[in-house]
Amino acid sequence: MKLLSRAALIHAIMFGMAMSIPATVMAKPFRIGVCYDLSKAYTFATPQVAQAAKDLAELVNRKGGIGGEQVEVIVRDHGNEPQRGVECYEQLSREGVFVFDTLSTPVSLAVLPRAMEDGRVLMQSLVGRGDAVDGTVFDWVYPIGPTYWGQAANDIAYIKQLHDGDLSNVKVGFVYFDYPFGQEPIEILKTLSKKEGFELLLYPVPLPGNDQSGVWSKVRRDKPDQIVVWMLGGAHVVASKEMKRNGIPMDKYISVNWLNEVDIANIGAKNAIGIKRGTNVVGGQDIPLYKEIMAELYDKGNGNGPIEKTQDVFYNTGLAMYSIMFEAARKAVELQGLPLTPDSYRAGLESLRDFDANGLMAPITVTAQDHGGGGATRIEMWDGAAWVPQTDWISEYSDQVWAVVKESSSKFGK
Amino acid sequence: MFYRLSGVYHTNYISDSRIYKVPADRNLALALLVLGVAAPFIAPSLYVNSYMLPWLIWTSAALGLNLVTGWAGQLHLGYAAVMAVGAYSAIHAARFGVPWEFALIIGGLSASVIGSLFAFAALRAKGLYLALTTLAMQFIMDWVLTHSPAISGGSHASLQAPTLKLLGQEITSDTGLYYVALAWCLLVTIFMLNLKRTGLGRALVAVREKDYAAAILGVHSFYYKIVAFAMSSFIGGVSGALLVATFFFLAAPEQFSVAVSIQALAMVIVGGLGSIIGSYFGVALILLVPGLVNGVVVTASEQLGMQINVETLAHIPNAVYGALIVIILLIEPLGLGKLYGNIRDYLMVWPFDQLRK
Repeated sequence: MKLLSRAALIHAIMFGMAMSIPATVMAKPFRIGVCYDLSKAYTFATPQVAQAAKDLAELVNRKGGIGGEQVEVIVRDHGNEPQRGVECYEQLSREGVFVFDTLSTPVSLAVLPRAMEDGRVLMQSLVGRGDAVDGTVFDWVYPIGPTYWGQAANDIAYIKQLHDGDLSNVKVGFVYFDYPFGQEPIEILKTLSKKEGFELLLYPVPLPGNDQSGVWSKVRRDKPDQIVVWMLGGAHVVASKEMKRNGIPMDKYISVNWLNEVDIANIGAKNAIGIKRGTNVVGGQDIPLYKEIMAELYDKGNGNGPIEKTQDVFYNTGLAMYSIMFEAARKAVELQGLPLTPDSYRAGLESLRDFDANGLMAPITVTAQDHGGGGATRIEMWDGAAWVPQTDWISEYSDQVWAVVKESSSKFGK
Repeated sequence: MFYRLSGVYHTNYISDSRIYKVPADRNLALALLVLGVAAPFIAPSLYVNSYMLPWLIWTSAALGLNLVTGWAGQLHLGYAAVMAVGAYSAIHAARFGVPWEFALIIGGLSASVIGSLFAFAALRAKGLYLALTTLAMQFIMDWVLTHSPAISGGSHASLQAPTLKLLGQEITSDTGLYYVALAWCLLVTIFMLNLKRTGLGRALVAVREKDYAAAILGVHSFYYKIVAFAMSSFIGGVSGALLVATFFFLAAPEQFSVAVSIQALAMVIVGGLGSIIGSYFGVALILLVPGLVNGVVVTASEQLGMQINVETLAHIPNAVYGALIVIILLIEPLGLGKLYGNIRDYLMVWPFDQLRK
C-alpha cells in the first residue's frame, strides 16, 4: 500500500509538471533556457551571470520587451552533470524554448549533438568546444566571445607589444590546469612560438591547483619574461602566494578571463597590483548599462540578488552574454517580425554588426561563417583599486587561430 | 494475500530452483515488462528519452557493479573507468568502420581485459586496500583520457559517436534508442537473475562471505574473483558504450570521472548489495531524484510566487536529496531492495497475520 501511494504521488508530480507546460506556452514570451551549474564546479561564476541575466531581462521588460513581447530567462540547476543538463534541455525544449545557454563545458558538450539535431540555438560563450565558432560546421552553436585559442593569441600579441614587436629573445611561460580547459591553448601557443620565435615553457598544474610550489620554483629557475596563466578561482590565490615566495613580480602574470574581484580580494588588493587579465568585457562599474540597471532596479530595491554580486566582472560578463542574446532577438523581430522562430533568431544573431552593448564589451560581428563574433579581447591591469586597460580590443593572429579552428572542426561529424 | 504462498508446492528440484517461486512475483515482473515495452506509447517522450533511457542503461551498469560488489563482495571504486574503456573502445571501433554490434562487444571485451588486469594486480589486496587500488585505476584512466588526444578525440576531449546502427537499421528515434536500452537492461537482468541459481553464482557468494572458507570448500577464490571482475567489467563496458551511443552521442572525460564512480557505487549501496530490484531503485534515486526534486522545488516556488534567489533554489534540492539518502539508509541499512522486500514480506500473509494479534 505504501508503495502504491508513493507511485501515485510520483505520477501526480509528473502529470503536474506536464500540465504546467501549456499554460506557459500561452503567454508566449521570448524565453531563454538557462541550464546552469549553480551548485557544483562552476559556482565561482554562475550566480553572478544568472543574476545579470535576470536583471537584464527585467530591464528589457520594463522598457517594453522585445517587439512588444516580454522576455523571460528560465534558470535551472544541473549540478554540472551532463545527464541533468540534457534533462533540462529536453524539458525546456519541449516547452518551446529554442535558445539555450549552459555555461558548463561538460554539459555544453552533451547538449551540442541534440541541439544540432533538433535545430535549437546553443549559446556557449566561454565554454564548450572552441571550434564551434566555425559556423559552416556548427550551424546551431554560437560561442560568442573569444575562444581560448583566440584569447591566448591576443595575449601573445600583447606580449609582443611589450617587447617592442620582437619576440625572438623572449621566454613565455604557460601555467595551466592539466586538463582539457588548460591544455587547449597549447597548440596555438606552439604555432605562434614557431612563427614569432619566442621560447614557450609549459608548466602543468595538477587539479585542483591547491599545491603549486613545485611549479613556481621551476618558474623562478627558468625566468620567463611573461607568464600566461590558464587557471580558475582559488588557484590564482595559491599562485600569487607562490609567486611572492619565489620573488616573481606580479606584473608578469597574465590570466585567462576567469579572474574576478573575489580573487583580487583574496589575494589582497595591494598584493595584486600589477596582475593582468585578458577579457572581452569592460571591468568595473563605470558602464552605462550597469548604471541603468542600478537606477532602475537596485536603487528601487528590485534587484534579483545581492548588490555585492553585481560588483564583479562575471556580472559584466553575464550582462554582455545576455545583451547579445536580447539584441539578436530584437534584430530578428526587425528582420522577420514576430513570432520569433529558431531560424529567425539565427538570422538575428548573424546580423549583429559591431555590437558592443553601449561600451560594455568588445564589439562583435557575427556572420554565418564566424559564430564567435570576432573574438576580440583586451588586457587589463589591476592598479590597486580598478582595472586599467593596457590595449585596445584586439583580435590578432586570426589566420593562425582559424587554421587551428578549421583543423579541429573539420573532424566533426566524421 | 498479494503474494499468496498457498498452493505453491515444490515437488522436485527444478521447481524449487525457479526464478519466481511465487506467482505474484512473476506476474509483477511481467506487468512491469509490459509497461516497459509500452512506455514509448504511453509516457510523454520527455520521460522516455531523458529519464527512462538513462535509468535503464545505468541500471544495467549498476547490476554489473553489483555483480562484483554485491555478489563477489569486492569493493570497486573505479567502475566509471571501466565504463570509459568500454565506451571509448566501442566508439573508436565504430568510427573505424566496425559494425556497432561488434563494436559493442569489442567495448565490452576491452573493458573486461583492462578491468580484470587491474583486478589481477589488485587481488593480492583485500577490502579497503582493494578499493583504493580500483580508485587508482580510475585516476589512471582520468589521466589517460585528459592527456591523450588520440583517445579522447582532440584538444576538446570530446569524441563523437557514429550513429547507432544495429542489424542494418539506423537507430535515431527516441523510441528506437529506448528499446535498445531496454533490451540491454533486460539481458543483463535475466543474466543476473539466473546467476543466482548457478554454481558460479553460489561460488561468488561463498567468496564474498569468507574467501578462505570458500577455499576450504574447494572454491578457488582467486579465480572466481577474477571472473567476477571480468564479467562485471564486460557489462560495464557495454553499458558505457551504450550510454554514449544512445544518450550522450559523444564521449567526454567528465562523463566517466571519479565522481561518477562514486555515484555508481552509491546506486548499488542505496539500492542494496546483491539485490536486483534494488539496483533499479538505487539508480532511480541517485540518478533521477536530483532532477525531479529540482523540478518540484522550482515549480513549487513558482506556484507559491516565492522570490527565491537562484542559488538558494539550486541548493534546496541538493539538501533534500542528501536527506533522502540518509533517511532511507537509516530506515533500512540494506537499501531500497530490502525495503521492497520488507513490504513484500508484510503483504505475503496480510491480512491473515492480523488475526493472530
